[in-house]
Amino acid sequence: MIENQRREGYYDYPVIRRPVWTWEIPAYFWLGGIASGAYLTASLAQRFGSKDDRQYAADGFYLAAAALVPCAPLLTADLGRPERFHHMLRIFKPLSPMNLGAWTLTAFTPLAFARAAARAAETGLLRGPLGVLTRLIPKTLVELTGTLLGLTLAGYTGVLLAATNVPLWARSKLLGGVFMASAMSSGSAAVGLAAARRRAPDATLHRFATIESAAGLGELAILTGYLAQSGKTARPLTAGRLAAPFWVAAVGAGTLLPLLLHRMAGRRQGRPLRILSSAAAMCTIAGSLALRWSIFEAGKISSEDQAASFELSSD
Amino acid sequence: MIDAYKRLMNIEEPPAPKTAKGFFTDTSLCIGCKACEVACKQWNQLPADGFAMTGNSYDNTGTLGATTWRHVQFIEQAKANGHGLEQRWLMMSDVCKHCANAACLEACPTGALVRTEYGTVYVQQDVCNGCGFCVPACPFGVIDRTPTDGHFEAGTAHKCTLCYDRLKDDMTPACAKSCPTASIQFGDIDELRERARRRLGELQARGESTARLYGMPESTEAQEVGPLHAFFLLLDEPEKYNLPSIPRLPRKTMAERYGWSAFVGVGFALVAAVVFGGRR
Repeated sequence: MIENQRREGYYDYPVIRRPVWTWEIPAYFWLGGIASGAYLTASLAQRFGSKDDRQYAADGFYLAAAALVPCAPLLTADLGRPERFHHMLRIFKPLSPMNLGAWTLTAFTPLAFARAAARAAETGLLRGPLGVLTRLIPKTLVELTGTLLGLTLAGYTGVLLAATNVPLWARSKLLGGVFMASAMSSGSAAVGLAAARRRAPDATLHRFATIESAAGLGELAILTGYLAQSGKTARPLTAGRLAAPFWVAAVGAGTLLPLLLHRMAGRRQGRPLRILSSAAAMCTIAGSLALRWSIFEAGKISSEDQAASFELSSD
Repeated sequence: MIDAYKRLMNIEEPPAPKTAKGFFTDTSLCIGCKACEVACKQWNQLPADGFAMTGNSYDNTGTLGATTWRHVQFIEQAKANGHGLEQRWLMMSDVCKHCANAACLEACPTGALVRTEYGTVYVQQDVCNGCGFCVPACPFGVIDRTPTDGHFEAGTAHKCTLCYDRLKDDMTPACAKSCPTASIQFGDIDELRERARRRLGELQARGESTARLYGMPESTEAQEVGPLHAFFLLLDEPEKYNLPSIPRLPRKTMAERYGWSAFVGVGFALVAAVVFGGRR
């Protein structure tokens, strides 16, 4: 009884309810992020890159299409009533990030497939009447529209989590930026990895590495800001059960190590360059999953933190 | 043309607005009998939550949830005065607040959550697909999703309906009907607010200096979620009842968060363009 008085709230009951989402959601955030990042990198290379850049980055369109395949099934599987997945599209309500995201995914998926098909027709992979038909796709328009939709897809996920009352997700302004940076670093890493496997010229590999490192540095900066703004609220992420996945996998192996590896690869050529770039890219891609998963899981712990909820809703 | 479409798609006209209805829960009158919990479960045919003992006073309900739409709290307080401990017991029947700006309703991507003609917030069970976004959006921890393997309306979001079905027949919601002390009062929202202000004046005149109203149009709680259609007279700080002092509406900070997200995305695109650039 006396003990109760020392606490601020009602026993130790949480103020808000625990999110009901399961592993499908962080998996979707990760794949959707890779898809948008790869599509964006590929599109920018088509517009601004050298001949080699254009050729090897175009694999990003395949990667984007492939990464999008499991996205809608993952989101559907997480619903309480999966057979009603199409109810997401019975209204257009961009005020709800969930609705905006459903529409963006619906629009972006066919565009990514169209651009991948156009690429297949270009390289002779897609022949016959379908190939001829595919050649009619207005590539520049598809790239431009897809870039905008891809940015929306990569950008809304963090904002969706932030548009709740879970202290870890809602306190900082920067979670949307963190997820966007992670999408761009993992997406450009996927393009770099594919290029290294196809033995792209060194100059092109170096440029992909520079872009991936820039995204990684940006990710590090915005993540630092996110943790600083979250303060004590970030504890479920930075200490306890999720500290290892977050610090070791997401930050260490997923962000710092790739920066180091790319730096080591800086002046190298040929095989050593390809090995170091590939290793860095794989670390970045895996680190992106670790980042999404640890922030997602830590949010569940945070939702049960009564004191953090009161702090969030008092200023 | 539009009429034909509406006929074809079986689109009904929304019901005409009625006088806004709500609950005034006067916790100073609550005796903790839990008749409201039972009446709510019975009328809405909600399953039992099991027989777990929490060890926290007489509250074995714990929290509001998908199948618990009224929850009586038992707050035991002890304060040292000149000669020993002064003890008191605060009881409060918690419920969905039916906010004027409801976070759950704004989060809902399917339009399953709607505002009724009585100004209350209602989940259309045949529309909800159980996306779960309303659950962490609610600043009060009210709405929840039923387990997908359960027997009661599996996998959709549930909360107090303010007995929408009873309201349609001009009946009082089950909890208010069953309350033996008039701690739960139902009626036209404007009239209830008047009554609450009078009651607060009475209590303050009797020396209840910490008594306050929670969720009135003029109170600080209303600055984001708006006035509550189910509001309370409390005898202590809101936190003592697990109520946030300024319940947040996620929409208010969303633009800023989108802004940072866009900043990072556009920044990446510019950097990539520069790295690729000039090498054609």
